[in-house]
Amino acid sequence: MGAYNREGQLTRVVKASREQERERNSGGGSNESTQQRQPSDPNNPDGADNPDGTKAATLPPESRRDLTPFPLDPQFISQPVLSGWFKDQIWKQVILQGLSVREVSASLGVEMSRVAAVVRLVEIEKEWKRINKPLMRQYHQAVMNMLPKTLWNPEETTEENRKKTKTHESINDLPVHVATGQQIFLPTSESRHFTRKDAARVFDAKLLPADDRVPHPELAVMHKEVLEELSDEERKARAEARDASEEQKRKVALARQAKKEASIKKVDIGRFEYRFSEIKVDDAGKDGRGLKGVGWRYGVPLMDRSRGQHKIPRAVE
Amino acid sequence: MVVKIRLARFGRRKAPFYNIVVAQARTARNSKPIEVLGTYDPIPKAPTDGEGKPFKDVKLDSARAKYWLGVGAQPSDPAWRLLSMAGLLEPKYRPTTSK
Repeated sequence: MGAYNREGQLTRVVKASREQERERNSGGGSNESTQQRQPSDPNNPDGADNPDGTKAATLPPESRRDLTPFPLDPQFISQPVLSGWFKDQIWKQVILQGLSVREVSASLGVEMSRVAAVVRLVEIEKEWKRINKPLMRQYHQAVMNMLPKTLWNPEETTEENRKKTKTHESINDLPVHVATGQQIFLPTSESRHFTRKDAARVFDAKLLPADDRVPHPELAVMHKEVLEELSDEERKARAEARDASEEQKRKVALARQAKKEASIKKVDIGRFEYRFSEIKVDDAGKDGRGLKGVGWRYGVPLMDRSRGQHKIPRAVE
Repeated sequence: MVVKIRLARFGRRKAPFYNIVVAQARTARNSKPIEVLGTYDPIPKAPTDGEGKPFKDVKLDSARAKYWLGVGAQPSDPAWRLLSMAGLLEPKYRPTTSK
């Protein structure tokens, strides 16, 4: 029957009420202690800020049995979702404190795509509240009560507690690249120092090594430095140098972009804007077929007639 | 023989793309021109940042265009329109003021 008994009641609620009954029968002194225990329940820091806080407080925490919605498939366990308070904190860190999605993701242990989605959705929720669009609070509350949640734990931000507490999900999983799908037996000499870089090159000439393809390559670098047993100051200095070079790169890219933008002449004619960019006729070369030349080329068969070119796009990005 | 600055239609069916070319007036539209001055993509593209108007891309070597105008090349009407927008010519037709 899973989490429910034959009467359709949540077994953990029935059990808890039975226990409460027993404690009440045994004496008034212990009753007080249960009331005190309840607010410090691990589920409550979340429930306290929610509008549904009162109900969340009365529901006992779910056990493993409650997380298996299909009784015949005990291997299927519901994955935890972010609690409302957690989502608000993510939004605050990104929008109000101006931290990057990458930083927030690394510090809270939530995938970058999820952080971005949370920020977008919280923005939408706030907008709906602003224009007085009705929200489905009851539904939200009912669904949230059924799901396991990752709760916000502010102490998580300290190094020590982070090791103890479970993060929401694994954030640095290597995405599977199509090129790595094949099985390759590559004979190499025993003396050769075969690294991940070499392995990537074996799969595809342009494939980046695994350390650079993970969502948070900076975490891999930091971990390597820990393994090298560098001092804290040294690691801090290196991290700062990395940040500085990253910032410098970003600035250069921005400047290049701005320069390119400035060189484009824009003419507004009402419905459309014409963008005139300057080219050089000589770039096409003597035969007019240079790589940098613009325009349709003369006397050359079109690329889309060659082998392996798909006219109809196979994926939408 | 008259040298003209005109557009040569390339691209596919319902996906036009023009080369802005300098060519002899009596040659075929898509024959090899004297020079390719640039391109004109008449299909409007959505603005990348999601704001503003849709835009049409024009690539033009204005120095060469000026040279050819200086030696007497005659722009066709559509080419005149583009060159005047680029600031190389006085506009031939001005939008009529609506009553």
